[in-house]
This record gives sequence, structure tokens and C-alpha cells, in this order.
Amino acid sequence: MAHAGWRSIHGVLTLNFEGLTQERGELSTGAYGEGYVDRRHPHAYVHELLAGVEDSIGKQHLSLYAGRGFAPFGSDDPMTRPFEKYPVNHHLAQILERVLVVGAARVGPLIGEFGVFNGDEPLSPGSPPKYSRFADSWSSRLTLLPARFVEIAASVARVKSPEVPDGHGLDQDKWDFYTRYDRRTSDSRVYGLAEWAHTSEHATGVLTTSLSSWLGEAAVCKRDVIAGARLEVADRPEEEPLTDPFRTPRPPSDLSNLGVSRWTTLTGALSAPRLLKSWFSARPFVEVARIHVAPGDPPGLFDANLRYGTSWMWMYSVGVRLKVGAIHDRMGRYGAAVVPETGTGTRSNGSHDMPGMPGMSMPGHSTNAVCTL
Amino acid sequence: MHRRLSALLVAAAASLCACGSDSHVVNPPDTTTGSNEPLTSAACPGVNFGVRPTSAVPASTAAALQVLGLGGETARYSAEVAAHGTTAYTTTWGTRSAVGNKIDIWDVTGSTPTLVDSVIVTGASTLGDVAVSDDGKLLVVATERSGGSIVVFDLADPRHPRQLSRFTNQDTDPGVHTAEIGRVNGKLYGFLSIDPVGSIHARLVIVDLSDPSNPQQVYSKVAGNPYVHDTFVRDGLLFVALWDDGMEIWDVGGCGNGATPAAPRVLGNVHTIGGQVHNIWWYHDASGGKRFAFVGQEGPGSVGSSSVGDIHVVDISDPTAPKEVAFYHVDGAGTHNFTVDEANGVLYAAYYNGGVRAIDVRGDLKTCLPSQQNFNSSANTTRCDLRVMGRELGVGLVELNRGVYVWGVQYLAGTIYASDMVNGIWKLKAAK
Repeated sequence: MAHAGWRSIHGVLTLNFEGLTQERGELSTGAYGEGYVDRRHPHAYVHELLAGVEDSIGKQHLSLYAGRGFAPFGSDDPMTRPFEKYPVNHHLAQILERVLVVGAARVGPLIGEFGVFNGDEPLSPGSPPKYSRFADSWSSRLTLLPARFVEIAASVARVKSPEVPDGHGLDQDKWDFYTRYDRRTSDSRVYGLAEWAHTSEHATGVLTTSLSSWLGEAAVCKRDVIAGARLEVADRPEEEPLTDPFRTPRPPSDLSNLGVSRWTTLTGALSAPRLLKSWFSARPFVEVARIHVAPGDPPGLFDANLRYGTSWMWMYSVGVRLKVGAIHDRMGRYGAAVVPETGTGTRSNGSHDMPGMPGMSMPGHSTNAVCTL
Repeated sequence: MHRRLSALLVAAAASLCACGSDSHVVNPPDTTTGSNEPLTSAACPGVNFGVRPTSAVPASTAAALQVLGLGGETARYSAEVAAHGTTAYTTTWGTRSAVGNKIDIWDVTGSTPTLVDSVIVTGASTLGDVAVSDDGKLLVVATERSGGSIVVFDLADPRHPRQLSRFTNQDTDPGVHTAEIGRVNGKLYGFLSIDPVGSIHARLVIVDLSDPSNPQQVYSKVAGNPYVHDTFVRDGLLFVALWDDGMEIWDVGGCGNGATPAAPRVLGNVHTIGGQVHNIWWYHDASGGKRFAFVGQEGPGSVGSSSVGDIHVVDISDPTAPKEVAFYHVDGAGTHNFTVDEANGVLYAAYYNGGVRAIDVRGDLKTCLPSQQNFNSSANTTRCDLRVMGRELGVGLVELNRGVYVWGVQYLAGTIYASDMVNGIWKLKAAK
């Protein structure tokens, strides 16, 4: 990840090598998307590559970014949240890795964003977007900052045929509403997120699937120990797996699915203090999730007992989060849409000089402050 | 998914009532006159599309199709059905408690289909389409997703098929969604609809099956937007279901202009309303008329629960400019594959959660009263509504209230065989 800026011109680059390190995806019961099921898909090598201009006119801060990245929709990318496992609602609550143009304006406590992008989602980490489909989809997000540490956002999106790159697949109407609390001090952090997300899939005006999710997650950090909990209820569209039970056909062979399943997941997470060495850090973590899957609406053919042998499952995750240099504290906002991080001194773009790179700035991220991931 | 063909063509003449009324609104205007009937097209002189039907068909009230029996299959999801003589074959699909790699073989002599044997198709994660050749000698099954192929079986012993060959190559990956078989100028061919994968487009592959032990590919072409889902071949014309690119009519040897399965020629195309063109049946009525094709639309649904999609009636009397003239719609359910009892003029359609529907397709399907017309503003087209015209003859399996999801149907000698994904194979008495 790198940010660069010169005067009012800025650039964002995030490379992601999950396509090499976890080609088969990351085991994550209930996860789905981009042809993976019960595994989180690897992200595109070029996760973000954008250039933009920012300026202030009076009390308005304006920006216009173009490139590949996140459409202005929903909540932060789960990669930058205090849990290692992604929630089931990843594809309900974020729209990522699209070629987009996004404009943002901030006036006082209000941030407005609008973006146009290609609807097709990546077929693989290395696959290029369908440039011919640029601007066939759009999204918009309105964010209110009513008090210190608090933000409230509502988003809407119309996404054309995300799963069929040539178009003519199911289109999606998406909504997201979240409230976020994030209070940081020099040695502590209190974080919370409550989110509702909904996606309606339809073709030629016919509604085929309604997918909803409720998610609440919270984390507290003290002395660099992070404890968190997440409760999520999310719908998942079921597709027929391939011979590999963790993969589904992309594109699917028609517009139907096998029904909808409803996933209720309660996760507890604990991270030990980081082992720090200059720009390197290692943070051990453990996560335990209790998972229940039930028929959704419509249930279709999906039967958890046939698929898994049970409808109640445990998921354990133990690992070490390794970090070299700086990472995003948040991901999915650009320019004027970046929310100032009260408590740490981080401001919008241009707030940090990148160490060793005079004149370069690092927006929206932190280095090795206590309680960062 | 697909449609089923097979068998039984015309034998008896139908009793068409020649009592048309000029007071009926004709829409769109018929292009034929008494002086150019029977109709041929300059683009396809080899095919005679027959005389224009002039009959008015009395309206019917839909009755329940009598259920004769059920052959149960609950370990796997059943897919397509093909029947010949006293034997029916159903493929299986996806994964239930077992993988859908089995062909069930049913003795359908009695009221209740009885499982007499089965064949496991190795190297397949799911099956789909199944077809029996017109002479009853071959069974062809399509495989998907773990290396697309067609598997050809010898039916010398119809209850115990013997594998003759398996055709697969790079053009059949990742899966053969449907495999239609039919003769062109006496030679048997397979018409394979190949799934798209990643950025690789869907494809139509034609295979020469004249030596069923050694199938030979004679043609391959990217087709469909984004899918090519099925084909229907008859009299040297190939009807191709191109999803949102509509239905295309290809000359593969019927028009007498030199086209062959190895060198087809496109005659015409129609974008039926709503697209999602899934399957086709070119109807030859009992009086020799060949003017209508039935197009199945497969909209989005949840397998086992819901479905959408209409049957579209296309006038192909000018194959270079086919036109949609009528439709059939069921609230809360969508169509899948067809079979037609052509002697009696009854189309039977698998309707997924809507069971089986029997529709009277005799007579002039594009002529109806104003009160029976429906105007589609987005297509700026007026069509006859077969349901309002009283063409629905029967409904099957819905009254059982046990949850059905009917994939395919086949008419055979007064009987309907319906493959139900969740229950197995049903035997029903035909509407006529």
C-alpha cells in the first residue's frame, strides 16, 4: 500500500498478493463471493490504484478520484477491521475492485460521494476489469459526522450483472446503513459498528433474491490488547458447488440459484500486544466463532445437513498478523470522503508525511501507534 | 437448463375445425395469401411451412392431469427425462445426499415407474440433458463441470445401456449444458451447448454421430449472450436458443442451398420479449403446418422453490424474419422444457414449481380477439395471450401439495413422463 501526494494531486496504490498466498481462498465458513463458497476469495493483485485531485473551496473540501478501487458504498473493508475473519456480508456491504470515478464533497459534518464504475466483479486476482462496462453501475454514500468519534452513513447502489462479465446476468440493487463509533487515545481504542445491508437481485424487472444482513461488532483495546465480539445474521445465495466444494461456476450457467441460507455467526476475538521491531510488527490473535445456518427465503434446495452434516458449527482461527510498514486504518474512501480520525491526530489526505519520502503524504492510515492492527 | 425432444411424430390427422372468423383481429398481419400457399421462403426453398391454419379453437377450462404413479428418487436430484418404448431414462443433477452422476432407468410399463437399473457416469460431477435417438438405438447424456462431454450408450438392451464412447475436447469445457440429437439428411448429429467459463464465451459444438463409437466434431462457434442453452433440429433447420440474443434459425441442410451441419447458414433471428431464451420446439401440426416455434424463457429463480419465465410463440413462416405473436404465462412459476403431442396439438411444458401444463396449440395462434391480446409497451408488440384464449387444457402435479420442481416432460403414447427434481419421475395421463 502506498499513498502519494503533490500539491492537490494524490495517488493511492494497494497491491494484494492473496492471489499467490491463498490462491484457494481462506477457509471461512459461511463466506461467499466471486466463485468461492465457505472460503473468502483472494483479492485482486491491484486492489487499489487511483489518482485524484483534492481542493478546498471555502469550507468545502472536494475531491475527484479515478482508477481501480472501492465504490462509495457501505462500510469499511473488513481487512482493516479488528477481526481476521471476514463477515458473511462482505459482498452485501462493500463493492470493491472496480474501475471507477468517484467524486466527494465534505461540508462541515456532511460527506457526500457519488461514483460510477463497471459492474463486473473480478474473475480472478489477475483478471482485468471489463473496461467496456465502465459506468454501467453507480453508487452513492452520504455520511454524517454528528459528534466526535461517531459517523452515520447511508448508501445506495445499482450494480449491473456483477457475476456475468459480459452482462445479462442478475442486476443488484443495494442499500447499506451503518453507524460507527471509533474513539482512540494514545493507548486505547473503543470501536463499534452496527450495520444493515440489503441486496436485491433481479433480471428484466423480476426480483429473484432478497439478501439482508444485520451486523454488530465491537472491540476494545487497552495496552495494545484487543478484545472484540461480532454478531452477524446474513443471507447467502446458494449455488451448486463444482467438484471442488469450495468453488462455484463463474459465470453461473443460468440466472437461478439453489435458494437462500441464513447465517448467524457469533465471533469472539482476542489479540495479544504486538511484537514490534522498527517497521515490523507481529500480533498474535485467536478467534472463535459459533455458527448456525438455517433455510432462508426462499429455502430452495439448500440443506445444511446435506452440505455440512449439521446446522451448528464452530470455527477456530489462530494466527499472527504480520505487518511491515504502514497499512490503512480504514479502506474504501478517497479524498474528501476520508473521515478524520479523532483522537490520533490523523486528518484527511495530506496529513502525514511518508517517512523517508519528503513531500509524499499518507492519508487515512497510521503507522505503529498503540492499538493499530 | 434444457428441453427435451424425442420421439413421436405425427401419425393421425387432427380434427381441426375450420371456423375462423374475420371479426377476429389478426396481429401482426399474415403474410400469406391463398396464392402462395403452401408457403415456402426464397431464403429456404427446401422447407414447406404449410398452409395457414384457419381454424378457431374453442376455449377450454384447465383440468387436473391425472397422476398415474411416481417412481421415487430422493438420494439425488432428478434432471431431464427421455422415454422410448416401455423404458424411461432420467439423469441426475448437482449434489443431494449423493452426486448427480447417475442415470436412472425405469420400466414404465405399469402405472408406477419402476427402477430397473442405473448407470454411474464416471468423471462427471453432474449430468443434465439426456436424449434417445429417433430409432431408439442410442442414448446420449451430457456432462458438466468436471470436464464437459457427451457419453453415448448403445440401447440394444434398452434396460441396460452399454457405453459406446465419450466425446470431449477443449471446446466442450467446462461443460455440455445440453446435447440435442437429430438427423440431417439421414445422418445423426449431436448439437452441444457449452457453458461459458471465466472470460471464455459460451459455444455451440456440432458432432457427427453417424459412427457413435467414434463421434467427430464438425463445427464449433462462440454463440449466445451470455449463454447458448439449447437447440432444436428438424428438417434440416437448427433452432438455437441464444439467451438474450434471442432465437436464431440456422440452415444446416434443409433449405437446399448447400448449408450443412459443418457449414451452417443463419437464416433469421428473433428477440423474444424478455430474452432469456432457453429452449425451443418447432411445431409441425397434424395438417402439415410448420409455422410456429415455441420458445421457453428461463428467468431467475431459486431451484426447488420458485421460477419465472413464459412460453413465447414465434411465427417462423418467414424464417428470415420470425416474429413473436403469442405467449403463455403462469403467475408464480416459470417454464422449463417442452414436449408436444403433435397429433393432438397439445404442448406439455415442465413448469418447475408450477408442475406440468398442457396447452392447446392447434389452429392459428396469432389470431385472437382484442380482449385476448396483450400489448407490451417496451417491445411495442401486441401478442395473443394463450391463457386468456382458453388454451390451457390441464395442470398436473400442483394439486398434490407436496412440493414439486419439474425439470422435463415427455409425451409418449398417451402418457406424460415428468422428471421432478425433488421427487423422481411421474407418470401422468395425457390431456387428450
